[in-house]
Amino acid sequence: MPKIDFKGITKSFGPTTVIRRFNASVEDGEFLVLLGPSGCGKSTLLRMIAGLTDISGGELLFDGALANDWTPKQRGVAFVFQSYALYPHMTVRANIAFPLVMDRFRKWHHIPFVNMVQRWKVMRQPEVADAVERIAEQLELTPLLDRRPASLSGGQRQRVALGRSLVRDPSLYLLDEPLSNLDAKLRTQMRSEITTLHQKVKRTFVYVTHDQVEAMTMATRIVVMNQGYIQQIGTPDEIYDTPANTFVARFVGAPPMNLLPVKVAGQTLHAEGDSHWQHDGGAPKGATSAIFGIRPEKLRLTAPGAGRLPARVAVIERLGAETVLGCRLGAEAADVSGISTEDLVFVRTPGHPGFAHGEACGLDYDAGDVVWFDKSSGQNVAATPVVSTPEPAFEG
Amino acid sequence: MSTPTISRQRLTALVPYAFVAVPLAYLGVFMFWPLLRQMWMSLTDTRLMNPTKGDFIGLENYRHLLADPQFYTSLHVTVVYTLLTVIFGVGLGTISALAINRPFPGRTIVRAVLLFGWAVPNVAATLIWLWIYNGPSGVANELTEWLGLGRVQWLTSIDMALPSIMIVTVWQVAPFVMLVMLAALQSVPDEVREAARVDGADALNVFRNVTLPYILPTMQLVSLLVAVWSIRRFEIIYLLTGGGPIGSTSTLVVQIRLTAFEDYDLGLASAYGAVGLVLALLVALVHFIFERRRARVMSK
Ligand SMILES: Nc1ncnc2c1ncn2[C@@H]1O[C@H](COP(=O)(O)OP(=O)(O)OP(=O)(O)O)[C@@H](O)[C@H]1O
Ligand SMILES: [Mg+2]
Repeated sequence: MPKIDFKGITKSFGPTTVIRRFNASVEDGEFLVLLGPSGCGKSTLLRMIAGLTDISGGELLFDGALANDWTPKQRGVAFVFQSYALYPHMTVRANIAFPLVMDRFRKWHHIPFVNMVQRWKVMRQPEVADAVERIAEQLELTPLLDRRPASLSGGQRQRVALGRSLVRDPSLYLLDEPLSNLDAKLRTQMRSEITTLHQKVKRTFVYVTHDQVEAMTMATRIVVMNQGYIQQIGTPDEIYDTPANTFVARFVGAPPMNLLPVKVAGQTLHAEGDSHWQHDGGAPKGATSAIFGIRPEKLRLTAPGAGRLPARVAVIERLGAETVLGCRLGAEAADVSGISTEDLVFVRTPGHPGFAHGEACGLDYDAGDVVWFDKSSGQNVAATPVVSTPEPAFEG
Repeated sequence: MSTPTISRQRLTALVPYAFVAVPLAYLGVFMFWPLLRQMWMSLTDTRLMNPTKGDFIGLENYRHLLADPQFYTSLHVTVVYTLLTVIFGVGLGTISALAINRPFPGRTIVRAVLLFGWAVPNVAATLIWLWIYNGPSGVANELTEWLGLGRVQWLTSIDMALPSIMIVTVWQVAPFVMLVMLAALQSVPDEVREAARVDGADALNVFRNVTLPYILPTMQLVSLLVAVWSIRRFEIIYLLTGGGPIGSTSTLVVQIRLTAFEDYDLGLASAYGAVGLVLALLVALVHFIFERRRARVMSK
C-alpha cells in the first residue's frame, strides 16, 4: 500500500501554471481531502496522481519510487470521476466487472470472437461473479445489475461508479467531487457511506471537494488550496481552530470567521468606523495594526450596554436549532437597512436569542478564542505558517 | 362553452396536420407520384418512341426479367459493388478519422488533403481517374510496372473493371465517411475513455469497449447512406466502363439506361428500377431493425 509523496509538483498548461511547487505526503490509510474554490487545481492534481495528466515538474513518489511516468494501470488506483464516467453501453453488472475483466485480459484475446468468448467466460468465473455480487449488495445495487446507466438516478449512478472502483480492491482511491451532482439529502447519506467505506476497507483515499462541510466531516487531513498553492495542511480541527491565514479562515466555516482589521492601542482595539472596545487579552506583540479574527459561535450576545462590543442587529437567519445574526458594530444608531453583508459581524447562537431586527445589543468573547492575522500578509500570527504562498491571501 | 371557442380549439388541433402537410405534399409530388408512375409503367409495354401509349401487360416485364441472364449478372454486380464499397469506404473512412482525431503537427493540412476526393465533382473526379487508368500512359500502369507487376488492363478486362470502379468509388466516399466519423468521435467523452484506462484497458480495449459503442450508430447510418448511394450510382460507372466489358460492371442503374435509351423499352426499364428500389428498401430495413434493437437494449 503506497505512501505518496509530492516533491515540488508543478503543472502548467502552456503559459499558465495551475499547480505550483506542491509539497505534501499522504500516509497509508489516510482520508485526505483536497479543498479549495473552483478552478484552484484540485482535479488537475488528482489526475496527476492517477496518471491521466502528465506532470510538468517535480517528483511524484509511490512508496519512494519515482512514479511520474507510470501508466494509470501500473499505479493501481481507482478513480471516481466528477461525471461518474460510466460505460453507457454496458449493464451495471458489466460496468462493475470491467476492471476485473481487464485484469484477466491477455494479448491474444484481441482476436475477434476469442474476445467475445473470453469476456463471457470471465464474467462467469466464480471469483468475478461473486466479487460483483458482493459489491452490488454492499452498495444496494443488486436489483439494478441488469439495467444500463441511462435508466439510473444520479445517486444510483454514483454508487455504480463507486462499485466499479471498489471491485478491484485498489490501495489508493481517488475521488473527484463524487457527490456534487446529488441532492442535499442523498449527499448527506453518501457522505456517511463513503466514510464508513473508508473505515471498512482501510485504504488511502484522496478526495476532492469544494464543499467545506464534506471536508470537515470526512477528512482525516485536509489540504486547503487556492490558485494552485497549498494554503494549509492539517486535521479538520486544526484547520478550523487555527487557520493559517485569512483565506483559510474565510473559506472554512459557515458563516466564515469574522475578520476585523483593527488598530491596537494598548488594551484598546479600534475597528474601522469609530467603534472601539477594551480587549484585555494579548495582542500581537509590537504591532499597531492587525486582523482580529473570531468564529461566529465564539461570540456571545448580551444585553445592550453589557459585553465588550456595542452593536446592532442587521440580519437574522433562523436555522432551527440555532440562529445566525449579522450585527453592525457601533454604539450609535448605526444604519441597519443596508443590504450589504460585507462589514457585518456574524454571531451563531443556539435557539432563539430574542433580538429583533434593528435592536441594539452587545457582543462579548473570551480573549483566548481570538485568532490574530498579520495585517499585510494575512498570515496567522501565532501559528507557524505551513504555507507556500508568497502573496498576501487577505483581500478585504 | 361558446361555439367560437370550440372552433378555435379545433383549429389548434389542425395545426400539426398543416405542418405535416407541406413536406407531405412535397414528397407526394416529387417522390410518391413518380414512384407510382414507374410502378405502373413496369406493368405496361410503354416504349420510348411512344411514352404515353402503353398497354397493361401484367407481370410480363418481370417474367422477362427473370428469364434474362443479364438481369442476374446486374443484380450480382450491384450487390457485390454495394457490399464492398460499404465495407472499404466505411472502413477506410473510419480508420482515417481515428488516425486524424488526435493532435499532430500539420493536422489541418492533412484533413484538407484527405477531403479532396469528396470535394471534387463526380464527373471531374471520374475523368481524372480515366486518365490515371489509361492503358499505355496512365499513372496506374506506371506504378504497377515500377512495382514489377507489369501492365494491368484496368478498365478493359473482365476481372479488373469492377475492382477499378470500386477503387474510384471508395476514393470518393471515404473522405465523406471520415468527416462524419470525425464528428461522431467528438461525442465520445474523454472521461469515459480515461475511466477505461484507469480500469486497466489497453488502447485497443479502450477502442472496443468505449469508442466503438459510441460511434457505432453513426457508422451504421453512414453505411446505410453509402449503400443506397452505391445502389443508385451512375456517373462513375457509366463514364469509366459504360457497364462493360461484356456487362461485367453493369449495375441495375446502368442496365436501366441501356434498356430505356438503347432498347427503347421503358416498361422493362421500370421493372429494373423497381428491383433497385426493393434492394434499397431492404438495406434501409436492416438499418431500422438494428436501430430498434439498440433503442430497446439501451433503455433497459
Ligand atoms: N487541459 C487544460 N488546458 C488548459 N487549462 C486547463 C486544462 N485543464 C485545467 N485547466 C485550468 O487549470 C485550472 C485548474 O483546473 P481544475 O480542473 O484542476 O480545477 P478544480 O479545482 O478541479 O475546479 P472545480 O472545482 O471547478 O472542478 C483551471 O484554471 C483550468 O482552467
Ligand atoms: Mg474539478
